[in-house]
Parts: sequence; C-alpha cells; structure tokens
Amino acid sequence: MKKKLAALLLAVLMVLTMTACGDSGNSGESAGGSGNASGTIRVALWDNNQLAGLKEIADAWTQQSGIQVEFTVMDWGSYWTMLEAGVSGGEMPDVFWMHSNNADKYMGAGVLLNLNDYIAADENTDLSNYFEGITALYSQNGNQYALPKDHDTIAIVYNKAIFDKYGVAYPTDDWTWEDFAAKAQEISEKGAADGIYGTYCNTGSNQDTWYNIIYSFGGKVISDDKKTSGFDDPNTLKAMKFVADEILPACPTPDSMASTGGDTMFLSGLIGMVSQGSWMVNGYYTADNASDYAWVMMPYEDVNGNGQCDKEERCTIYNGLGWSIYADTKNPDAAYSLISYLSSKEAQTKQSELGVTMAGYIGCSEPFAKAFGDMDVSAFVDIEEQGTLVFRPYSKSTAIWEDDASLALVQAWSAPETMEEVCKQIAADMNKTLSEE
Amino acid sequence: MKKKMTPRQRTEAIWGLCLIAPTIIGLLILNYYPIFETVWQSLCKTGDFGKGNTFIGLTNFINLFQDKEVFSTLFNSFKYAVLSLPLTIFISLVLAVLMNRKMHGRTVYRTIYFLPMVCAPAAIAMVWKWMFNQDYGLLNHLIGTKISWVTDPTIALIAIVVVGVWSGIGNNMILFLGGLQDIPKDYYEAASVDGSTGIHTFFHITIPLLSPTIFFVVQTGVMGALNLFDLPYMIMDQSSRAWPSVKTITYLFYEYAFERSNRGYGAAIIMFLIAIISIITVILQKSEKKWVHYN
Repeated sequence: MKKKLAALLLAVLMVLTMTACGDSGNSGESAGGSGNASGTIRVALWDNNQLAGLKEIADAWTQQSGIQVEFTVMDWGSYWTMLEAGVSGGEMPDVFWMHSNNADKYMGAGVLLNLNDYIAADENTDLSNYFEGITALYSQNGNQYALPKDHDTIAIVYNKAIFDKYGVAYPTDDWTWEDFAAKAQEISEKGAADGIYGTYCNTGSNQDTWYNIIYSFGGKVISDDKKTSGFDDPNTLKAMKFVADEILPACPTPDSMASTGGDTMFLSGLIGMVSQGSWMVNGYYTADNASDYAWVMMPYEDVNGNGQCDKEERCTIYNGLGWSIYADTKNPDAAYSLISYLSSKEAQTKQSELGVTMAGYIGCSEPFAKAFGDMDVSAFVDIEEQGTLVFRPYSKSTAIWEDDASLALVQAWSAPETMEEVCKQIAADMNKTLSEE
Repeated sequence: MKKKMTPRQRTEAIWGLCLIAPTIIGLLILNYYPIFETVWQSLCKTGDFGKGNTFIGLTNFINLFQDKEVFSTLFNSFKYAVLSLPLTIFISLVLAVLMNRKMHGRTVYRTIYFLPMVCAPAAIAMVWKWMFNQDYGLLNHLIGTKISWVTDPTIALIAIVVVGVWSGIGNNMILFLGGLQDIPKDYYEAASVDGSTGIHTFFHITIPLLSPTIFFVVQTGVMGALNLFDLPYMIMDQSSRAWPSVKTITYLFYEYAFERSNRGYGAAIIMFLIAIISIITVILQKSEKKWVHYN
C-alpha cells in the first residue's frame, strides 16, 4: 500500500511539474501581452549578420518605452518552418521579418496584423517616404501588412589583383554591358591557362545578374499587371541572347558552375568580376583578400544609341524586407510601436550607419556607403540617383515560375544557340502558371 | 467466454497500460495521425498553413497519372535501387565473410568499414560533393582527368550510387556478420569432411543459411533505395544538366509539398510511392518461401 501511494504521489508530482512548466511559459507570455512597461516583445529574424546592429537600435526603443525586446535568430530554412508551424500551433513571435517569396501567402492567410488603422493614427509614419515597390509588396487589397525594413540593390565587385595580373583596365561607372562582356572575355582568354575566368553567371543568378540585364535592355520578366510573362518580349529575348552570346563565353563551363558557387569561386581568386547583391557585402568585407576587392555601379545598355547613360538604361533589381506583426499577438500596440520606430527615419539612418543594410526609407542609405572602412560600397547607393531601381519581379506564384525558369535555362546554358527557343518555352509555361493563380 | 481478471491482474494491466502510454501516445500523435492526415490531404486541394483544405476527390491522382515527371523520377529511383542494392549486398557480404575469421586487426577493419554509418549523411554528402567537383575535386586531381562526375547525365547517377553503396556497406556488413555467427560450425566441418572447397561451401552452406539475413537486407534495402532523397539533394546542384536524370520521386514530393506549397499533390505522390513499395514488399514476402531457409 505504501509503495502504491508513493508511486501515485510520484506520478501526480510528475504531471504537476509538467503543467507547471507549461504554466510558467504561459505566464511569461501573458506578462508580455499585458502591455505594461515590464513586457517583452519577441522578434524573429534569419540573418545573424544583422543581429548586433538591430539590437543596438532596439535598445534605443527600449529606453523610450521600457519594454524589452528579445531577438531569436534562425537560418533561412528553419525560420520559415518555424513560422509555418507557429501559425498552426499558435506559438509565434510578436514581430518578424517578411520576404517577397512568402508575403502573399502570409497576407492571404490572415496571419499578419493589418496595420492600416495603426498607420493612420501614427503621425510619424508616412508610407510615401518608403520605396514604393516595398510598400506595395506588403499590401493586399488596400491593407498594409508590414512596414519596410530595408532595401537592397546590385553592384559589380571586381578583384583588382586579377585585373592587374592580366593588364586589363578596372571597371568604371561608365561601362556598358558590352564593355563588361568584352573585358570579361579578355580575362577569360588571358587567364585560361591559370583557370581564371572573367565573370560568373549561373541559371539561378536571376536577381543578382540576368534580371538586371533584361531590364537594362528594356525588357521585362513579368507584365505590370502580373498577368503575363515577359520572357517572350523582344527586348527580353535580346537581353537573354546577349547573356548567351557574350556573357556565358566569359564564364566557367556550365558544368563547373553547377558544381561550384560564384561567390566561392570569386573569393578563391578565380573570377575577375561578378554582380552581387548588397546583402553579400559583409562576406566580401570580411574575406581574406578584402583589400583586393572594389565595387562599381551596374553597367548600362545604350538602348537609344545616344552614346550616354540615360537613367532608365542602368537598372538594378531591388527588394526589401518588411517588419510584420503576428495578427494574434497579445500586445499589438507595443509591437506596432517597435516596428514604427525601427522604420523611422532615425532608426533607418542608424541601420545604414551601422552597415546592417541600406534603408527602406528613401534617402537614408547614404551612410551605408561609408560603413565598411576602406571598402567603398557607394555603388549600391549611387545607382538610386544615376539609375533605375526595378522591384524584383514577383506574383503570387513566384516560387513556381522562377524555379521553372531556372530549370529550363539549364538547357540554354549548355547550348546557348537555343536561348530564344528556351525563353519562349519559359514564357508559355509561366503564362500557364500565372493563369492558374 | 470472457475470463474475469483478478484484482491483482487488473491493477497490473492498468499499470502496464500507464507505463506504455507515453509510447502509445507518441506513436498515435507522431506516426498514425500524420499517416491519416496525409491520406486526407492527398484528396484535397490544400490551403496555406493547413487551413482551408477543400475535398477534390481523386483529382490529384488523376493529374499524377498524367504527369510524366512522376514516372521519370520514379524510374530514377528504381534505377538507383537496381544499381545500388546488388552492389551493397555483394560487397558487404564478401567483407563480412572475410571479417568473420581470426585475423590480425579484425576490430580495426570492422571499425573502418562501419565508420560511415556513424557519420551524418549530410556531412558525407558534402565531403563527396567536393571530391566529385569537376575542377577542384580530389578524384579528378588524383586520376588526372576532367570527368564531370555529377554534371554529366550519363554518369551522375552512378556517382550517387557509389556514395550510397559506400555509406551502406558498414551497416549491412554488421547484419551479415551477425547472421554468419549464427551458423553452427558443424555444417562446415561436415562439408570439409565431404571434400567441399571454399567457394562451393560458400554457395551451398553459407548463402542458404544466411538467407534470412539476406532477405531482411534486401527488403529494407529496397525501401531505403526507393526513398532516396538526401544524397542527390545535397551532392548535386539543380542547375546541373544531369539533375533530371537523378531527381528522385521523393524529391519531387518535397518540391511540391514544401517548395511549391502544393501539399495535396505532394501527398498524392507519396501515397503513390507507398502503394508501389507495398506491392514490392508483398511480392518479396511471397517469394520468401522459395529461397529463404530458416533452420
């Protein structure tokens, strides 16, 4: 009898401790949700490089509001798995990053807090201060679901050591895409014996390479109403043929590119120059041979033949993250106060100064150019004035047609003469996907 | 007639149930619930985040049977199974026989062959990926060639098979060793008295008496090979022109279910694969009587 009692007691104790664990979890959450000054806002993001800077900015908000901010960082893959599971299970961070790949899905499912009323009541936040493409990306049916966090652009990074070795003049901001291709081919020819190539462009290098070329040539990837594909547009075909005929000959073979990534090859000193997104700067800045690297603006394409660069002839794809709030957060007011601060002019400028990213707020990115010591990255910022920012092409089913296009281009990469044919096929497939949205 | 339990038996039964409850609950929640959920999803047009699933009957399956990619990827999975399984079994059987005698450094060899089993598959794949690298890889460097191991459609699958076989040998060798040690010595003594030589003994004594283990290895091996996902996914890049010739049906499932957020179609693909594996298992079970000897 005694034994039985002891066992029962133990069992009860076990259950109790389990519920106690659950309880403490809950009480922590409700304390965060009660909106008093001692609460905590939980923030989730996927880029560890940005954590230190964002913490510093969030600390300033904590000093004003008295509310703590708790950051969780995950890698890209687990981040989305965590959110996906969190939505079904109800255990979500209060504030988190949103990305163009998934925005439509999350907005459509009612997972994100509708910010319209908050923005209307907030005299410090005016959506027209931000890049239009980013605010538009995070709105659906006239409802705003995220405030812009940042924007990114593309620039050319080149390895001075390779240009010196083969006696090729450094890239300049006046280069056309033809200049770029010619110099890249020159490096590939001279460097053939050393296994060094002029540039790198793989089928999946869309946002950082061939999308930019398409728009500089006056082409498009998707129509403005997002109903039809732009892959069969005459200018797009011209741009992709340029990629096939002029850029690819200066690249490693398609088989090599399928085996080794472009940044790996560049950082190993095997590639002369390559176009890269501003989100990659830190990797190049902290590399072993960082002093050999320099950045210039994207080349332009003299479409109208007047011998100079017009604004719309120099294009960079841009994209931007958004700060969004979980629709069922316990503390929407504090969460909104936090993201409105993070998107404010002051915080956005600080974000650039700290070299975290460029700003989503127009005109606050200038300090980013000087944030990396000796490495001048003003090419990312200058293109705002001297070129055209094209928002990364997207629709509801981006994940499907973008993937299909990359896979289809594998054939064109192996047999460049089939490029036109392949692009027309991509257009047909993409139109089918778009019609099913 | 239902027998009435004594109070003692009853308490024991209750306590027994309590003690296995965690396992039962775990199985129900983690295994059985997902199985039925997958069956249900395969009949639905699924919404995001598991909300808004609408029943569409067999539409997913009708689409599936018209989808050429389902069959080409299934064919790839079969090719992998057909190439890798005999090799794995043959090599690990030979190794097991060689290891199953008194020799110097026996434990060292056993450890070496078993080591791949201890490594994480993802880590193995990453190392092999670099060894296979066409320009900077160890393999081409050693042989002095420029072979596109994982980007040439004609040999990419074979490269994957090599990795699969290499990492599968250790586990199967241990299973075979266990089986070999269960064979009584008397048979071998009797055979040698009758004048049987090594090879003859191997085929007429070792193989028949090892057949239960071989059967087990074949059966689990078929399932494992048809479920292949991690090796091609980790070793190859999708921009490789060899990708269509290696892409497996489980990768196709992953692509639909997770990358294209079409859970319903993904579930249908996996149901189709389960049906095929079940058929193969039934055939294997039926054939068991013909060639498997339990002494």
